[in-house]
Amino acid sequence: MMDSAVAIEMHNLTKTFKSRERTSEARRSLFSRKEPEMVTAVDHLNLEIRRGELFGLLGPNGAGKTTLVKSLCTLLPPDEGNALVNGFDVARQPMDVRRSIGALFSVGERGAFWRLSGYKNLEFFSAIYNVPRSKRHERIMEVLDLVGLNDKAFERYQRYSGGMKRKLALARVLLPDTPILLLDEPTVGLDVISSRTLREFIRNDLSRKAGKTVLYTTHYVEEASHICDRIGILNRGRLVACDTPNVIKGIVKKGEVVEIRVKSITDAQVKSIKTMDGVVDLVSEVEDSVLGQQLLRFHLESIDLLPMVLDFLFKEGIRLIDLRREEPTLEDAFIELTGKGLGK
Amino acid sequence: MTLREVEKIYYFIKRDITSFSTYKTNMTLMVLGALFGALSYAFLGSNASMQSVLRIDGMSFKDYLVIGVAFSTYIGQALTLVQATATPWQLEEVLVSPTSLGTFIIGSSAWGFIWSTVVVVIYLAVGSLAFGVVLSINLIGTILVLALGISTLVGFSMIGAGILIVVKQGDPVTWLMGILTSVFGNVLYPPQVMPYPLQVVSYFVPQYYFFTCIRFMMLGRSIQAILSNLLALALMCAIILPLGYLIYSWCLRTARKNGTLSWF
Repeated sequence: MMDSAVAIEMHNLTKTFKSRERTSEARRSLFSRKEPEMVTAVDHLNLEIRRGELFGLLGPNGAGKTTLVKSLCTLLPPDEGNALVNGFDVARQPMDVRRSIGALFSVGERGAFWRLSGYKNLEFFSAIYNVPRSKRHERIMEVLDLVGLNDKAFERYQRYSGGMKRKLALARVLLPDTPILLLDEPTVGLDVISSRTLREFIRNDLSRKAGKTVLYTTHYVEEASHICDRIGILNRGRLVACDTPNVIKGIVKKGEVVEIRVKSITDAQVKSIKTMDGVVDLVSEVEDSVLGQQLLRFHLESIDLLPMVLDFLFKEGIRLIDLRREEPTLEDAFIELTGKGLGK
Repeated sequence: MTLREVEKIYYFIKRDITSFSTYKTNMTLMVLGALFGALSYAFLGSNASMQSVLRIDGMSFKDYLVIGVAFSTYIGQALTLVQATATPWQLEEVLVSPTSLGTFIIGSSAWGFIWSTVVVVIYLAVGSLAFGVVLSINLIGTILVLALGISTLVGFSMIGAGILIVVKQGDPVTWLMGILTSVFGNVLYPPQVMPYPLQVVSYFVPQYYFFTCIRFMMLGRSIQAILSNLLALALMCAIILPLGYLIYSWCLRTARKNGTLSWF
């Protein structure tokens, strides 16, 4: 293991894929040759993840999260730039990288053997991951206990529930006791309780107690917000923000978020509010169509602009039911950075 | 290969045996299938009219058939050996672990070969005990022929698996080799019964040399008796095995580069 304070570093890391989609011009001709288009999944990414850090990588579907994880665990060779994991170059020292990491993919349960018990699955993988023979049984029982599967250890994998399969996939990743864990959407497909238990386990046991470096990808904003030390927001292969959850909320949404619940407002009136100076964003949502109740969620440049909006509502005779001032959430930041902000 | 890698292969075999043993009906049917297969070919070979038609290389048609059919299980196994390891998610799981691709291929296919050996033993036992096939095995020669024959076909298997990794469905190499084995491979009939132009095709198919050699070795002939055929097989092996490895490695690299490894 390297002594550097940085566990994972990427320098201009780029991964491009050929897409087989035809261009519109080529599509017109029946006999035209397929023109591959290039899709940049990871675009000149520079990022450092500190040792012992729980780093969340957020991004919408197709942002490049899985491609990045696969590049870091040596499955995808980068086209440009490089990445060091535990001090080892992913392209030139793949075996050293693999000895340093545990990688869980979003479809990790597919790699297990359905006719074997959880224990037998882990026994096989402990050999594959070079766990010393003398410590194998002890280590298997330890990780099964960690993920809460020790009472189901000798049950066949095919009888496991979705949550149990996910836990066994995580147990497999923990077997070799590597310093770095790459977890690609570990809570996908889990119910709320299992998801929360797993998140707490990752934060409290793996990150805080065991001091492991964890790269945790997800598209659930609140999930990342609750457990991660720092968050990177990835959009179309580019890192558009990277800091602590609180700083990101502050950086992205300077201003105020106000929720006003009103009765009987027309689309034209909503549009008028939207076009007012100082109204950065407005989302309206029908809460009760029978009562004509609607929720307006504003993002104002300053709270001083609120009287202007309220004046408009009174003048138009719109009945105000409720008004609440809100702190901007990480979700606001995420939507602005990945949706509205960059999607324009 | 280090001891650690050998131990990994053991765990691959242990995994597959445990998994296989849970399919009890399938296991029983496979054993019965081998038994009845041996019986049917032995009956066919013992048929007097067939015996009168053919007397091949000093052996009876019954010996010819039983040995040919028995060892064709090895051929089938070797031809699909590497493809069996091309399961996308399994490939990914192993490629992120500190296990070499060689260990993975050998480990994943070891149980298949062990099972094929059981089937060969069943065929030969039925042939020998029930139909009087007299076996006098040249052990060194048998091992040599098996090693060369299997290695050659593993070469083809790697080409097929490589193509499968890239195109995902449909492997023309295994398909073609399957046809070549059954028509020109010297398994169920000698090429000499075919028209001359078709006989010539047989001489370019490694299975022809494999089956010619293995029959002689199982009937106790000397290596000298099969030297020219053995050399032809060795030459094919020397070309096809490294070529297969190169193609497989290239296809794997291409799939990794294109990010299509886990597609299926």
